[in-house]
Amino acid sequence: MSNEKIQFDVVVVGAGLAGSTAAAIAARHGLDVAIIERGRSPGGKNFFGGALYTHSLEEIYPDLWDRKPPLERPVTETGFWFLSKDGMVKATVQGGRINNEPIDAYVALRAKFDSWWAEQAEEEGAFIIPKTLVTDFIYEEGQVVGVTTDRPQGDIYAPVIIICEGVNNILTQKLGLIDHDIQPTKAALAVKQLISLSPKTINARLGLPSRKHGMAISVVGDVSMGMPGLGFLYTADKAVSLGVGVTLHALQETQIKPYELLQRYLEHPAIAPIIEGGQLMEYGAHLIPEGGWKEMPKLFTGGAMVAGDAASMVNALHWEGTNMAIVAGKQAGLTAIEAHQKGDFSAQTLSSYQDGLQERFVMKDLRQYRRMSKFLANHPEFMEIYPTFLNDAMGNFFTSFGKPKRQLYKEIWRSLTSRRSLLKVIGDMVSFGRAVIGI
Amino acid sequence: MIHLLVSIKQVPDTTNIRIDPETGSLIRKGVPAILNPYDAHAVAAAAEWKRKLGGKITIITMGPPSATLALQECIELGADRGILLSDRKFAGSDTWATSYVLAEAIRKIHEEDPIDLLFFGKQAIDGDTAQVGPGVATRLEFPLITYATNIREINQDEGFVLIERKTELRTEIIRATLPALLTCEKEIAEIPYAALPDLIKSLRYETETWTAEDPVIYDETKIGLKGSPTKVSKTGTPKQHEPGETFKVAEIGLKESVDTVFEKMISNSSVASLWE
Repeated sequence: MSNEKIQFDVVVVGAGLAGSTAAAIAARHGLDVAIIERGRSPGGKNFFGGALYTHSLEEIYPDLWDRKPPLERPVTETGFWFLSKDGMVKATVQGGRINNEPIDAYVALRAKFDSWWAEQAEEEGAFIIPKTLVTDFIYEEGQVVGVTTDRPQGDIYAPVIIICEGVNNILTQKLGLIDHDIQPTKAALAVKQLISLSPKTINARLGLPSRKHGMAISVVGDVSMGMPGLGFLYTADKAVSLGVGVTLHALQETQIKPYELLQRYLEHPAIAPIIEGGQLMEYGAHLIPEGGWKEMPKLFTGGAMVAGDAASMVNALHWEGTNMAIVAGKQAGLTAIEAHQKGDFSAQTLSSYQDGLQERFVMKDLRQYRRMSKFLANHPEFMEIYPTFLNDAMGNFFTSFGKPKRQLYKEIWRSLTSRRSLLKVIGDMVSFGRAVIGI
Repeated sequence: MIHLLVSIKQVPDTTNIRIDPETGSLIRKGVPAILNPYDAHAVAAAAEWKRKLGGKITIITMGPPSATLALQECIELGADRGILLSDRKFAGSDTWATSYVLAEAIRKIHEEDPIDLLFFGKQAIDGDTAQVGPGVATRLEFPLITYATNIREINQDEGFVLIERKTELRTEIIRATLPALLTCEKEIAEIPYAALPDLIKSLRYETETWTAEDPVIYDETKIGLKGSPTKVSKTGTPKQHEPGETFKVAEIGLKESVDTVFEKMISNSSVASLWE
């Protein structure tokens, strides 16, 4: 056994989307890069709904499609389903620009995709060290110069460390970039099942013309049992992914078990027929950092940068996070290259990481939506009253039962105002608008 | 310096496996391949004795190219050399053919660099036959100790080992002359958490591949499906037994119960034949 110091130009912590991207960019420029991953293999610990955005993938690999990425179906129909107790209103968009090349988003399964994404980084020259947990940092003169791991003789040195540790921001805290754990009010717990069905069945039940068509649906209303949160449905090629995400805080308060929440969703009269006869392939849960802008740590310090979930880079309303992680990973990789060119790894040099992100949608969107998580927490009516009203209103509008129409409109009106006063409704709409526009 | 050899197998993680209810066969798709757990303990035991006595560990396995990963895992645990026996001609080998393939490869290694002690896991978790280790020992005419739980002593000077082995009733202590072959229980050694330099070495390690012609020339009638006398005619899942009828003594009375049960028994042909 050698006692030589283990040294790389760049160490990336975590082989998720941010980590493997950062490593690929740095390795492509000839730097000696190690990715340290705690799972048995890259992707082993990663989980999402979900869909990936092609713009971010192509930004890293312009020849993406020649590389045959393991993506599932393209998203050709997307939007909202509003659930009441026993009914559903669908508001989705399909065809038009959603259906045109280039396709904006593809459904993916992370265990498969992330291990492929990491292989691309390996091809660029990055070296993956799996089954190893980074536990702390090594400092010299106040500057980070390496990491310690949970293995014997486990120190690894590099003048720049890119932390993509995910939602549990333990290392980010150790560096003093943020002073607290992720807060229960600022994190959603998402639980999901992947249920296998034949492509034919999926197409027939969801009205999809072929295997080249897929859905990404946000489900609002009866799914979250009044808690701030959303359900979702995504179509993989031969499986459907269904889940619910609600804030951790709400789960604590209500004492509702996440698996009960999911089970209830899957048994909903509008959902159950979709998955009937399917086989459970995967059952999992993951935390999503939804604090956004307000929970962002400082993004860099001397010798280290943070990207992805650890840096709170998630846009909860638009279900964006993977694209932010990839763009941030790229920016961190570029900054590492710049630092090596200068031979200077100080906080001042690494600040160009943040400067770069300011120019991109990452920081712009996060800043714009900075009030969103607070808004959703304070407005449970968007989860309960409005979806039910929508179902009532549409249900009334499209049935006759021999009533005069004036009475019909009165009933629709009453089904709203009996639940929430008109003044409050107006207030809700205004604050929703503010949270979205970000003023 | 001691030369230890461990024979391993890459297996599907059967804790993760399901049976296709229609065909009755294993659904292997998406099931991770792992180093057979008993083999991992065998490698750990070899690594312990390498540390004590100094020397080297050779790992051998037969399997598809992806079995390289299992060999790398052995390097991580402290092995020095990994040999993969991989050839389409080996495919479909049963335990008989597999033990022939392994035995000939081991004979070759032994000629070039004499082996002192050979380790096998007690069985592989996918087939559970526990036949390959004994098969190899028989072919090579090495002493065989199955279900080894502890290595008390390896004495190279006098050429013997002292091994504890588990039987149903007791622990036996066996003295065998070297080279000997053990099949190991998990108790043989704890699997250590490898040091980082060993992990990195294993990730960079490139295994040797041996084929059906090079460096050992195999008799093609003895390998693969052709060389395998085992024929699997059918696999299936046993049907669950229906619970039997219940008679409540409290409801129908003791005599009635006994009579009914007795009636049922003698109307059942197999019991009736005993009665006569």
